Amino acid sequence: MNRFERAAAVAVLLMLLAAGAIFVYAPTDALQGPVQRIFYLHVSSAIAAYGCFAVVLVGGIIYLRNDSAVADRFARAGALVGVVFTTVTLVMGMLWAKPIWNTFWTWDARLTSTLVLWIVYAGYLLVRRMAEPGRQAARLAAVVGIFGFIDVPVVHFSVTWWRTQHPGPIIVNDALPVQMLGTFLFTLACTLVLAGVMIAIRYRIETLIDEKQSIAEPVPVAAGHRAEAGPEAVP
Amino acid sequence: MNQLRVALAVARKDLRSEWRTRELVPALAQFIILALLIGNFGFQIDSRNASTIAPGILWLALVFAGLVAFGRTFAAEREQASLEAMLMTPASPVAIFAGKALAAAALLVVCEMVLLPALSLFFGMPLSGDVVAAVLLATVGMAALGCLFAAVVARVRARELLLPLLTLPLWIPFIIAGGLAVQSAMGLPGSYQQAIGLLIDFDILFVVLTSLAARFVLDE
Repeated sequence: MNRFERAAAVAVLLMLLAAGAIFVYAPTDALQGPVQRIFYLHVSSAIAAYGCFAVVLVGGIIYLRNDSAVADRFARAGALVGVVFTTVTLVMGMLWAKPIWNTFWTWDARLTSTLVLWIVYAGYLLVRRMAEPGRQAARLAAVVGIFGFIDVPVVHFSVTWWRTQHPGPIIVNDALPVQMLGTFLFTLACTLVLAGVMIAIRYRIETLIDEKQSIAEPVPVAAGHRAEAGPEAVP
Repeated sequence: MNQLRVALAVARKDLRSEWRTRELVPALAQFIILALLIGNFGFQIDSRNASTIAPGILWLALVFAGLVAFGRTFAAEREQASLEAMLMTPASPVAIFAGKALAAAALLVVCEMVLLPALSLFFGMPLSGDVVAAVLLATVGMAALGCLFAAVVARVRARELLLPLLTLPLWIPFIIAGGLAVQSAMGLPGSYQQAIGLLIDFDILFVVLTSLAARFVLDE
Protein backbone atom coordinates (compact mmCIF):
# COMPACT_ATOMS: atom_id res chain seq x y z
CA MET A 1 0.00 0.00 0.00
CA ASN A 2 1.53 3.32 -0.98
CA ARG A 3 0.75 6.53 0.84
CA PHE A 4 -2.03 7.49 -1.58
CA GLU A 5 -3.83 4.23 -1.00
CA ARG A 6 -3.41 4.64 2.74
CA ALA A 7 -4.81 8.17 2.62
CA ALA A 8 -7.74 6.98 0.52
CA ALA A 9 -8.46 4.20 3.01
CA VAL A 10 -8.45 6.70 5.87
CA ALA A 11 -10.80 9.02 3.98
CA VAL A 12 -13.22 6.18 3.23
CA LEU A 13 -13.14 5.08 6.85
CA LEU A 14 -13.87 8.63 8.01
CA MET A 15 -16.81 8.89 5.60
CA LEU A 16 -18.20 5.60 6.98
CA LEU A 17 -17.89 7.00 10.51
CA ALA A 18 -19.68 10.15 9.32
CA ALA A 19 -22.43 7.97 7.86
CA GLY A 20 -22.70 6.26 11.23
CA ALA A 21 -23.03 9.63 12.96
CA ILE A 22 -25.63 10.78 10.45
CA PHE A 23 -27.83 7.69 10.65
CA VAL A 24 -27.32 6.57 14.26
CA TYR A 25 -26.13 9.43 16.44
CA ALA A 26 -28.07 12.39 15.01
CA PRO A 27 -31.72 12.66 16.10
CA THR A 28 -34.51 12.58 13.55
CA ASP A 29 -35.79 16.01 12.62
CA ALA A 30 -39.22 16.74 14.13
CA LEU A 31 -40.67 18.42 11.06
CA GLN A 32 -38.84 16.92 8.09
CA GLY A 33 -38.28 13.40 9.38
CA PRO A 34 -35.40 11.24 8.14
CA VAL A 35 -35.08 13.28 4.93
CA GLN A 36 -33.35 15.98 6.93
CA ARG A 37 -30.31 13.68 7.28
CA ILE A 38 -29.41 14.61 3.70
CA PHE A 39 -28.50 18.06 5.02
CA TYR A 40 -25.25 16.89 6.67
CA LEU A 41 -23.62 15.63 3.51
CA HIS A 42 -25.34 18.18 1.27
CA VAL A 43 -23.94 21.22 3.09
CA SER A 44 -20.58 19.55 3.71
CA SER A 45 -20.03 18.74 0.06
CA ALA A 46 -21.12 22.25 -0.93
CA ILE A 47 -18.46 23.68 1.40
CA ALA A 48 -15.89 21.17 0.10
CA ALA A 49 -16.76 22.21 -3.46
CA TYR A 50 -16.22 25.88 -2.62
CA GLY A 51 -12.88 24.93 -1.09
CA CYS A 52 -11.87 23.08 -4.27
CA PHE A 53 -12.81 26.04 -6.44
CA ALA A 54 -10.84 28.31 -4.14
CA VAL A 55 -7.88 26.04 -4.95
CA VAL A 56 -8.62 26.58 -8.66
CA LEU A 57 -8.77 30.35 -8.15
CA VAL A 58 -5.55 30.57 -6.14
CA GLY A 59 -3.80 28.12 -8.45
CA GLY A 60 -4.88 30.15 -11.48
CA ILE A 61 -3.70 33.44 -10.00
CA ILE A 62 -0.34 31.96 -9.01
CA TYR A 63 0.01 30.39 -12.45
CA LEU A 64 -0.66 33.69 -14.21
CA ARG A 65 1.86 35.43 -11.97
CA ASN A 66 4.79 33.06 -12.24
CA ASP A 67 4.01 30.15 -14.58
CA SER A 68 4.23 27.64 -11.75
CA ALA A 69 3.43 24.15 -13.04
CA VAL A 70 2.63 23.05 -9.49
CA ALA A 71 -0.07 25.72 -9.12
CA ASP A 72 -1.58 24.70 -12.45
CA ARG A 73 -1.72 21.03 -11.48
CA PHE A 74 -3.41 21.94 -8.21
CA ALA A 75 -5.93 24.02 -10.17
CA ARG A 76 -6.67 21.09 -12.48
CA ALA A 77 -7.09 18.71 -9.57
CA GLY A 78 -9.24 21.19 -7.65
CA ALA A 79 -11.56 21.74 -10.61
CA LEU A 80 -12.19 18.04 -11.13
CA VAL A 81 -12.80 17.28 -7.44
CA GLY A 82 -14.89 20.44 -7.10
CA VAL A 83 -17.15 19.39 -9.97
CA VAL A 84 -17.63 16.00 -8.30
CA PHE A 85 -18.63 17.63 -5.00
CA THR A 86 -20.90 20.14 -6.75
CA THR A 87 -22.63 17.23 -8.47
CA VAL A 88 -23.12 15.53 -5.10
CA THR A 89 -24.48 18.76 -3.64
CA LEU A 90 -26.95 19.26 -6.49
CA VAL A 91 -28.18 15.68 -6.53
CA MET A 92 -28.57 15.50 -2.74
CA GLY A 93 -30.33 18.86 -2.73
CA MET A 94 -32.78 17.67 -5.35
CA LEU A 95 -33.48 14.48 -3.40
CA TRP A 96 -34.17 16.60 -0.33
CA ALA A 97 -36.29 19.13 -2.22
CA LYS A 98 -38.69 16.59 -3.72
CA PRO A 99 -40.34 15.55 -0.41
CA ILE A 100 -39.90 18.93 1.33
CA TRP A 101 -40.62 21.45 -1.42
CA ASN A 102 -42.59 18.97 -3.53
CA THR A 103 -40.40 19.69 -6.54
CA PHE A 104 -36.92 18.62 -7.59
CA TRP A 105 -35.95 22.03 -8.78
CA THR A 106 -36.83 25.66 -8.24
CA TRP A 107 -35.03 28.72 -9.56
CA ASP A 108 -33.99 30.25 -6.28
CA ALA A 109 -30.67 31.98 -5.71
CA ARG A 110 -28.62 29.16 -4.24
CA LEU A 111 -29.87 26.54 -6.67
CA THR A 112 -29.32 28.79 -9.67
CA SER A 113 -25.85 29.87 -8.60
CA THR A 114 -24.83 26.30 -7.74
CA LEU A 115 -25.94 25.17 -11.17
CA VAL A 116 -23.94 28.01 -12.73
CA LEU A 117 -20.98 26.96 -10.59
CA TRP A 118 -21.24 23.44 -11.93
CA ILE A 119 -21.51 24.65 -15.54
CA VAL A 120 -18.54 27.02 -15.20
CA TYR A 121 -16.16 24.40 -13.85
CA ALA A 122 -17.43 21.68 -16.16
CA GLY A 123 -16.53 24.21 -18.88
CA TYR A 124 -13.11 24.62 -17.25
CA LEU A 125 -12.55 20.87 -17.52
CA LEU A 126 -13.65 20.96 -21.16
CA VAL A 127 -11.15 23.73 -21.92
CA ARG A 128 -8.42 21.61 -20.38
CA ARG A 129 -9.46 18.67 -22.46
CA MET A 130 -9.80 20.50 -25.76
CA ALA A 131 -6.91 22.98 -25.68
CA GLU A 132 -3.44 21.84 -26.68
CA PRO A 133 -1.90 20.76 -23.39
CA GLY A 134 0.81 23.03 -22.13
CA ARG A 135 1.27 26.63 -21.25
CA GLN A 136 -1.54 27.99 -23.38
CA ALA A 137 -4.20 25.68 -22.01
CA ALA A 138 -3.05 26.47 -18.50
CA ARG A 139 -3.30 30.22 -19.09
CA LEU A 140 -6.70 30.05 -20.71
CA ALA A 141 -8.03 27.73 -18.04
CA ALA A 142 -6.67 30.02 -15.32
CA VAL A 143 -8.67 32.89 -16.82
CA VAL A 144 -11.79 30.69 -16.97
CA GLY A 145 -11.29 29.58 -13.36
CA ILE A 146 -10.85 33.12 -12.07
CA PHE A 147 -13.86 34.49 -13.96
CA GLY A 148 -15.97 31.55 -12.84
CA PHE A 149 -15.13 32.19 -9.22
CA ILE A 150 -16.16 35.83 -9.56
CA ASP A 151 -19.26 35.04 -11.59
CA VAL A 152 -20.85 32.75 -9.03
CA PRO A 153 -21.27 35.28 -6.19
CA VAL A 154 -22.48 37.82 -8.76
CA VAL A 155 -25.12 35.40 -10.04
CA HIS A 156 -26.00 34.49 -6.48
CA PHE A 157 -26.38 38.12 -5.51
CA SER A 158 -28.48 38.98 -8.56
CA VAL A 159 -30.89 36.12 -8.02
CA THR A 160 -31.17 36.81 -4.28
CA TRP A 161 -32.05 40.35 -5.08
CA TRP A 162 -34.61 38.89 -7.45
CA ARG A 163 -36.21 36.07 -5.44
CA THR A 164 -35.19 33.37 -3.01
CA GLN A 165 -36.69 30.50 -1.04
CA HIS A 166 -33.70 28.35 -0.04
CA PRO A 167 -33.63 27.62 3.72
CA GLY A 168 -31.40 30.21 5.32
CA PRO A 169 -28.14 29.43 7.08
CA ILE A 170 -29.45 28.03 10.37
CA ILE A 171 -26.07 26.76 11.59
CA VAL A 172 -24.94 30.17 12.76
CA ASN A 173 -27.90 31.11 14.99
CA ASP A 174 -27.77 28.15 17.42
CA ALA A 175 -31.15 26.79 16.30
CA LEU A 176 -29.50 23.41 15.72
CA PRO A 177 -29.52 20.88 18.62
CA VAL A 178 -26.06 19.97 19.81
CA GLN A 179 -26.14 16.39 18.42
CA MET A 180 -27.08 17.73 15.00
CA LEU A 181 -24.40 20.39 15.15
CA GLY A 182 -21.82 17.79 16.24
CA THR A 183 -22.85 15.44 13.44
CA PHE A 184 -22.68 18.27 10.93
CA LEU A 185 -19.23 19.45 12.03
CA PHE A 186 -17.91 15.89 12.05
CA THR A 187 -19.33 15.19 8.57
CA LEU A 188 -17.90 18.48 7.36
CA ALA A 189 -14.44 17.61 8.69
CA CYS A 190 -14.58 14.13 7.11
CA THR A 191 -15.77 15.53 3.78
CA LEU A 192 -12.97 18.10 3.76
CA VAL A 193 -10.43 15.33 4.44
CA LEU A 194 -11.95 13.33 1.60
CA ALA A 195 -11.72 16.33 -0.73
CA GLY A 196 -8.12 16.93 0.30
CA VAL A 197 -7.18 13.30 -0.34
CA MET A 198 -8.95 13.35 -3.70
CA ILE A 199 -7.08 16.52 -4.70
CA ALA A 200 -3.77 14.98 -3.60
CA ILE A 201 -4.39 11.82 -5.63
CA ARG A 202 -5.54 13.81 -8.64
CA TYR A 203 -2.49 16.05 -8.28
CA ARG A 204 -0.30 12.96 -8.49
CA ILE A 205 -2.17 11.78 -11.60
CA GLU A 206 -1.77 15.21 -13.23
CA THR A 207 1.96 15.12 -12.46
CA LEU A 208 2.25 11.72 -14.12
CA ILE A 209 0.27 12.96 -17.15
CA ASP A 210 2.60 15.96 -17.47
CA GLU A 211 5.65 13.73 -17.18
CA LYS A 212 4.32 11.32 -19.77
CA GLN A 213 3.68 14.19 -22.13
CA SER A 214 7.13 15.69 -21.69
CA ILE A 215 8.68 12.29 -22.40
CA ALA A 216 6.54 11.84 -25.51
CA GLU A 217 7.55 15.20 -26.99
CA PRO A 218 10.71 16.70 -25.50
CA VAL A 219 10.19 20.23 -24.29
CA PRO A 220 12.01 22.99 -26.13
CA VAL A 221 13.87 24.92 -23.45
CA ALA A 222 11.98 28.18 -23.16
CA ALA A 223 13.32 31.16 -21.26
CA GLY A 224 11.37 32.05 -18.16
CA HIS A 225 9.38 28.84 -18.17
CA ARG A 226 10.10 25.69 -16.27
CA ALA A 227 10.48 22.48 -18.20
CA GLU A 228 8.11 20.41 -16.08
CA ALA A 229 5.14 22.35 -17.36
CA GLY A 230 4.89 20.03 -20.33
CA PRO A 231 5.25 20.71 -24.03
CA GLU A 232 4.44 24.17 -25.15
CA ALA A 233 1.84 24.86 -27.76
CA VAL A 234 3.46 26.87 -30.49
CA PRO A 235 1.20 29.88 -30.99
CA MET B 1 -4.09 58.39 -25.06
CA ASN B 2 -1.95 56.32 -27.35
CA GLN B 3 -3.72 53.17 -26.13
CA LEU B 4 -7.07 54.70 -27.02
CA ARG B 5 -5.82 55.53 -30.51
CA VAL B 6 -4.68 51.92 -31.00
CA ALA B 7 -8.02 50.58 -29.77
CA LEU B 8 -9.94 52.88 -32.10
CA ALA B 9 -7.70 51.94 -35.01
CA VAL B 10 -8.27 48.23 -34.40
CA ALA B 11 -12.02 48.78 -34.08
CA ARG B 12 -12.02 50.85 -37.28
CA LYS B 13 -10.11 48.11 -39.09
CA ASP B 14 -12.60 45.44 -37.99
CA LEU B 15 -15.62 47.54 -38.88
CA ARG B 16 -14.10 48.48 -42.25
CA SER B 17 -13.47 44.85 -43.15
CA GLU B 18 -17.03 44.05 -42.12
CA TRP B 19 -18.29 46.96 -44.21
CA ARG B 20 -16.35 45.71 -47.24
CA THR B 21 -17.56 42.14 -47.04
CA ARG B 22 -20.97 42.82 -45.46
CA GLU B 23 -21.21 39.23 -44.30
CA LEU B 24 -21.82 39.21 -40.58
CA VAL B 25 -24.51 41.85 -40.13
CA PRO B 26 -26.94 40.54 -42.79
CA ALA B 27 -26.42 36.99 -41.53
CA LEU B 28 -27.06 38.06 -37.94
CA ALA B 29 -30.12 40.07 -38.94
CA GLN B 30 -31.52 37.05 -40.69
CA PHE B 31 -30.65 34.90 -37.69
CA ILE B 32 -32.58 37.27 -35.43
CA ILE B 33 -35.65 37.22 -37.66
CA LEU B 34 -35.48 33.42 -37.66
CA ALA B 35 -35.24 33.40 -33.87
CA LEU B 36 -38.40 35.52 -33.70
CA LEU B 37 -40.11 33.16 -36.14
CA ILE B 38 -39.23 30.19 -33.95
CA GLY B 39 -40.37 32.09 -30.86
CA ASN B 40 -43.67 32.64 -32.58
CA PHE B 41 -44.12 28.91 -33.15
CA GLY B 42 -42.76 27.87 -29.77
CA PHE B 43 -45.24 29.93 -27.78
CA GLN B 44 -48.96 30.31 -28.20
CA ILE B 45 -48.91 34.00 -28.80
CA ASP B 46 -51.95 36.21 -28.77
CA SER B 47 -52.44 39.91 -28.19
CA ARG B 48 -52.72 39.44 -24.41
CA ASN B 49 -49.57 37.45 -23.64
CA ALA B 50 -47.31 38.85 -26.38
CA SER B 51 -45.89 41.55 -24.13
CA THR B 52 -44.91 39.05 -21.40
CA ILE B 53 -43.26 36.67 -23.85
CA ALA B 54 -41.45 39.30 -25.92
CA PRO B 55 -38.74 40.11 -23.31
CA GLY B 56 -37.80 36.43 -23.09
CA ILE B 57 -37.51 36.17 -26.84
CA LEU B 58 -35.51 39.40 -26.90
CA TRP B 59 -32.81 38.00 -24.59
CA LEU B 60 -32.74 34.58 -26.19
CA ALA B 61 -32.30 36.05 -29.66
CA LEU B 62 -29.76 38.60 -28.45
CA VAL B 63 -27.67 36.05 -26.56
CA PHE B 64 -27.45 33.64 -29.45
CA ALA B 65 -26.83 36.37 -32.01
CA GLY B 66 -24.11 37.62 -29.67
CA LEU B 67 -22.49 34.19 -29.53
CA VAL B 68 -22.41 34.02 -33.32
CA ALA B 69 -21.01 37.56 -33.55
CA PHE B 70 -18.29 37.02 -30.93
CA GLY B 71 -17.39 33.66 -32.40
CA ARG B 72 -16.50 35.57 -35.56
CA THR B 73 -14.39 38.29 -33.91
CA PHE B 74 -11.19 36.33 -34.07
CA ALA B 75 -12.10 34.16 -37.05
CA ALA B 76 -10.62 36.43 -39.71
CA GLU B 77 -7.50 37.00 -37.65
CA ARG B 78 -7.08 33.29 -37.23
CA GLU B 79 -7.58 32.50 -40.90
CA GLN B 80 -4.97 35.08 -41.92
CA ALA B 81 -2.77 34.50 -38.85
CA SER B 82 -2.82 38.28 -38.49
CA LEU B 83 -3.35 38.31 -34.72
CA GLU B 84 0.27 37.30 -34.18
CA ALA B 85 1.36 40.10 -36.49
CA MET B 86 -0.73 42.59 -34.53
CA LEU B 87 0.69 41.34 -31.24
CA MET B 88 4.22 41.80 -32.57
CA THR B 89 3.65 45.51 -33.00
CA PRO B 90 4.41 47.74 -30.02
CA ALA B 91 0.66 48.17 -29.43
CA SER B 92 -0.39 46.76 -26.08
CA PRO B 93 -2.51 43.59 -26.13
CA VAL B 94 -5.09 45.31 -23.94
CA ALA B 95 -5.57 48.06 -26.53
CA ILE B 96 -5.92 45.49 -29.32
CA PHE B 97 -8.43 43.59 -27.24
CA ALA B 98 -10.38 46.75 -26.45
CA GLY B 99 -10.52 47.58 -30.16
CA LYS B 100 -11.85 44.17 -31.07
CA ALA B 101 -14.41 44.32 -28.26
CA LEU B 102 -15.53 47.77 -29.42
CA ALA B 103 -16.02 46.55 -32.98
CA ALA B 104 -17.91 43.47 -31.80
CA ALA B 105 -20.11 45.60 -29.56
CA ALA B 106 -20.84 47.94 -32.48
CA LEU B 107 -21.88 44.99 -34.63
CA LEU B 108 -24.13 43.74 -31.84
CA VAL B 109 -25.71 47.18 -31.56
CA VAL B 110 -26.48 47.01 -35.29
CA CYS B 111 -28.18 43.65 -34.64
CA GLU B 112 -30.17 45.22 -31.84
CA MET B 113 -31.31 47.88 -34.30
CA VAL B 114 -32.91 45.03 -36.22
CA LEU B 115 -34.08 43.05 -33.20
CA LEU B 116 -35.91 45.76 -31.26
CA PRO B 117 -38.03 47.12 -34.13
CA ALA B 118 -38.76 43.56 -35.26
CA LEU B 119 -39.93 42.63 -31.76
CA SER B 120 -42.11 45.68 -31.66
CA LEU B 121 -43.51 44.88 -35.09
CA PHE B 122 -44.13 41.15 -34.64
CA PHE B 123 -44.88 40.95 -30.92
CA GLY B 124 -46.34 44.37 -30.26
CA MET B 125 -43.61 45.11 -27.74
CA PRO B 126 -43.68 48.81 -26.88
CA LEU B 127 -40.30 50.40 -27.59
CA SER B 128 -39.19 53.02 -25.14
CA GLY B 129 -35.92 54.73 -24.33
CA ASP B 130 -35.85 52.68 -21.13
CA VAL B 131 -35.85 49.38 -23.03
CA VAL B 132 -33.16 50.58 -25.43
CA ALA B 133 -31.01 51.84 -22.55
CA ALA B 134 -31.23 48.48 -20.73
CA VAL B 135 -30.30 46.53 -23.85
CA LEU B 136 -27.39 48.84 -24.65
CA LEU B 137 -26.04 48.68 -21.09
CA ALA B 138 -26.17 44.89 -21.16
CA THR B 139 -24.36 44.95 -24.52
CA VAL B 140 -21.33 46.67 -22.99
CA GLY B 141 -20.58 43.92 -20.48
CA MET B 142 -21.63 41.13 -22.80
CA ALA B 143 -19.25 42.44 -25.46
CA ALA B 144 -16.33 42.62 -23.02
CA LEU B 145 -16.88 39.08 -21.75
CA GLY B 146 -17.81 37.64 -25.14
CA CYS B 147 -14.72 39.06 -26.76
CA LEU B 148 -12.45 37.83 -23.96
CA PHE B 149 -13.70 34.28 -24.27
CA ALA B 150 -13.67 34.47 -28.06
CA ALA B 151 -9.96 35.20 -27.64
CA VAL B 152 -9.66 32.33 -25.16
CA VAL B 153 -11.22 29.78 -27.49
CA ALA B 154 -9.61 31.15 -30.66
CA ARG B 155 -6.68 28.80 -30.18
CA VAL B 156 -8.67 25.83 -28.99
CA ARG B 157 -9.69 22.94 -31.19
CA ALA B 158 -13.46 22.82 -30.64
CA ARG B 159 -14.01 26.56 -30.33
CA GLU B 160 -17.60 26.57 -31.58
CA LEU B 161 -18.46 24.15 -28.81
CA LEU B 162 -16.63 25.92 -26.06
CA LEU B 163 -17.54 29.55 -26.66
CA PRO B 164 -21.20 29.21 -25.60
CA LEU B 165 -20.28 26.98 -22.67
CA LEU B 166 -17.83 29.50 -21.29
CA THR B 167 -19.63 32.71 -22.19
CA LEU B 168 -23.25 31.99 -21.32
CA PRO B 169 -22.73 31.44 -17.56
CA LEU B 170 -20.86 34.73 -17.38
CA TRP B 171 -23.60 36.55 -19.26
CA ILE B 172 -26.25 35.40 -16.79
CA PRO B 173 -25.90 38.42 -14.45
CA PHE B 174 -26.52 40.72 -17.42
CA ILE B 175 -29.52 38.70 -18.50
CA ILE B 176 -30.98 38.74 -14.98
CA ALA B 177 -30.60 42.49 -14.53
CA GLY B 178 -31.29 43.36 -18.17
CA GLY B 179 -34.29 41.06 -18.25
CA LEU B 180 -35.74 42.70 -15.18
CA ALA B 181 -35.05 46.20 -16.53
CA VAL B 182 -36.84 45.42 -19.80
CA GLN B 183 -39.75 43.75 -18.01
CA SER B 184 -40.23 46.66 -15.65
CA ALA B 185 -39.87 49.17 -18.49
CA MET B 186 -42.76 47.31 -20.13
CA GLY B 187 -44.95 47.69 -17.05
CA LEU B 188 -44.34 44.29 -15.43
CA PRO B 189 -43.44 44.38 -11.72
CA GLY B 190 -39.88 45.26 -10.74
CA SER B 191 -37.76 48.32 -10.08
CA TYR B 192 -36.29 49.76 -13.27
CA GLN B 193 -33.92 52.09 -11.42
CA GLN B 194 -32.45 49.25 -9.38
CA ALA B 195 -32.03 46.97 -12.40
CA ILE B 196 -30.28 49.70 -14.38
CA GLY B 197 -28.03 50.47 -11.43
CA LEU B 198 -27.10 46.81 -11.23
CA LEU B 199 -26.40 46.66 -14.97
CA ILE B 200 -24.02 49.61 -14.64
CA ASP B 201 -22.27 47.93 -11.69
CA PHE B 202 -21.85 44.70 -13.64
CA ASP B 203 -20.57 46.64 -16.67
CA ILE B 204 -17.90 48.34 -14.59
CA LEU B 205 -16.93 45.12 -12.79
CA PHE B 206 -16.57 42.99 -15.90
CA VAL B 207 -15.00 45.64 -18.13
CA VAL B 208 -12.29 46.15 -15.50
CA LEU B 209 -11.81 42.39 -15.04
CA THR B 210 -11.66 41.62 -18.75
CA SER B 211 -9.14 44.39 -19.36
CA LEU B 212 -6.99 42.91 -16.58
CA ALA B 213 -7.31 39.41 -18.03
CA ALA B 214 -6.89 40.38 -21.69
CA ARG B 215 -3.12 40.60 -21.26
CA PHE B 216 -2.90 36.93 -20.30
CA VAL B 217 -5.19 35.75 -23.07
CA LEU B 218 -3.60 37.65 -25.95
CA ASP B 219 0.00 37.98 -24.78
CA GLU B 220 1.77 35.00 -26.33
